[in-house]
Amino acid sequence: MNPTAPPPRPRRRRGQRRRPVFAIAVTVVFFVLLYLPIAMVVLFSFNAQKSLTIFKGFSLRWYEAFFHDSVLLGSLGMSLEVSLVAMLGSVVLGVALALGLVRNKGRLGAYAGLIMMVPLITPEIVTGVASLLLFKGLGVTLNSGTVMIAEITFSISYVTVILRSRVAALNPEVEEAAMDLGATRWQALRLVTLPALLPAILASAVLIFALVFDDFVLAYFTTGVDPQPLAVRIYSAIRFGVEPTINAVGTLMLAGSITLIGLALAIPRLFGRRGGLDLISGE
Amino acid sequence: MALRTPVRTERPAPAKNVGGRGRRPRPSAAGARIWTWLTLPGTVWMSVFFIASLLLVAAISFGTTDQLGDPRFGTDLGNLKALADPAYRDVMVRSLGYALLTSVICLLIAYPVAYAVALHAGRFKNALIAAIVVPFFANYLVRMYGWSVLLSDDGPVLQLLRAVGLADDHTKILNTGFGVIAGLVYGFVVFMIIPLYAAMERMDTALIEAGRDLYGGPLRTFLFVTVPATRQGAAAGMVLVFLPAMGDFVSAQFMGGPNQIMIGNLIQDKFFEGQDWPLGSALTMALMAVLLLAMFGYLRRTRKDEAEATR
Repeated sequence: MNPTAPPPRPRRRRGQRRRPVFAIAVTVVFFVLLYLPIAMVVLFSFNAQKSLTIFKGFSLRWYEAFFHDSVLLGSLGMSLEVSLVAMLGSVVLGVALALGLVRNKGRLGAYAGLIMMVPLITPEIVTGVASLLLFKGLGVTLNSGTVMIAEITFSISYVTVILRSRVAALNPEVEEAAMDLGATRWQALRLVTLPALLPAILASAVLIFALVFDDFVLAYFTTGVDPQPLAVRIYSAIRFGVEPTINAVGTLMLAGSITLIGLALAIPRLFGRRGGLDLISGE
Repeated sequence: MALRTPVRTERPAPAKNVGGRGRRPRPSAAGARIWTWLTLPGTVWMSVFFIASLLLVAAISFGTTDQLGDPRFGTDLGNLKALADPAYRDVMVRSLGYALLTSVICLLIAYPVAYAVALHAGRFKNALIAAIVVPFFANYLVRMYGWSVLLSDDGPVLQLLRAVGLADDHTKILNTGFGVIAGLVYGFVVFMIIPLYAAMERMDTALIEAGRDLYGGPLRTFLFVTVPATRQGAAAGMVLVFLPAMGDFVSAQFMGGPNQIMIGNLIQDKFFEGQDWPLGSALTMALMAVLLLAMFGYLRRTRKDEAEATR
């Protein structure tokens, strides 16, 4: 046999790729480990006993305990309030920034484009420390207002990043057509551009609400003592002795954020490629 | 549909004056001012609440504390010198090691997962990638807590390992360095999967087939075709995992013990328990410096890669 020629292999048909058994096995284990911790929390939130390791029958007692816990309910209210305000504030500032950034070719645009990227690469603990120092330096008392300001600061970049590519994809001719037809700049912006951006704006709003509601680090550094956001309460509860009530709160939070994220992913689809949207977005 | 126009990034040239009506003048300085007014509020907000506050951290790291423990501005180098103290230096080195190991482990997990999902999941591809992303948005603390229960001394994972003889009664995961890294990996692996998945989707799969046609085995084809083709996604993932892992303090608290604390825990301690804000600020600056270095290195690499690609 000629040693230089490799033995001929049976040629596989084109398009028929071999299944990568190893990669698929890793993927299966990955998915199991990804979901097991979440499943544990959900399962033990329905545990009839106080045990956190042995399941002793189904019960809703921890949910009942949560809905009778005025401290936790106060935290829930505060978290909802903070998320709502942070969502509105960061969407207004972030959308305006995205619009201005894309069209503003000058120095201001370049500076804005640079500083909005910095929060994305800064770890939250640094942002937290910086916000805390600023508030203390200004002599502000820490309360839900300081959490809101910090969360808005943290969220503007996300809104701007999501919106920026959408704004860049807009066809400026449509806006100009509106102005040729007698619309002012503001009218063109309000009646033509913003409706075209609506799906992306709504999706980013939902995303920010979920991110802020779940955020712990920034809230931890900027909150006052009472009330505290729900995530901060959960942190203290886990760190200093776990009550099964935490499993119930955790499960409710999981359900809430998964719903919101599903919504954020679905919104652009709901608007779909129907109507006049793709005329403008040019996608 | 006929109205559909391709994406334009630049302003098109003004159309010829077709009708009798004269075209209004191109947006003048007055018209362009609107973009400045739109940019300003967000820019001012970020400058005050983000940039200025970061500068404040830098300033306070040269400060001292008064008798009440409140921070005072100053030109004291004591805090920066304290960073070289073995107690702090060891923690910083450990954080660096944990974050790097976390990035590498995430890479090793993410490659097969991204590969299987991007190239072999068929019509379930989008559903699977959504199934990976969605739990990441679930509350970080709750997820980390569930993970710590799962890996606890008599949790399901160790029980299983004991049953098959891979662990004995003394094997521990929690309160070890491995536990902290396991927490960091669980927390941030999605940041590695997403860029790798995107890179694999963009990759020309004919390359893999060519590798096979040239008698490369699955492993060789993977190492010499798939990995180089997705190198940029991997580099992006490394940075995206490294940044949050380096600044994390929850994993070390939930999964580790007193001997596994990271720089984030030191910072938290200086601000909440130790009441030494200037030292906490100096530690924060040290953390930020490491991360900026990592970011800088990454940007330099990608720029070099791009330069090579366009040569």
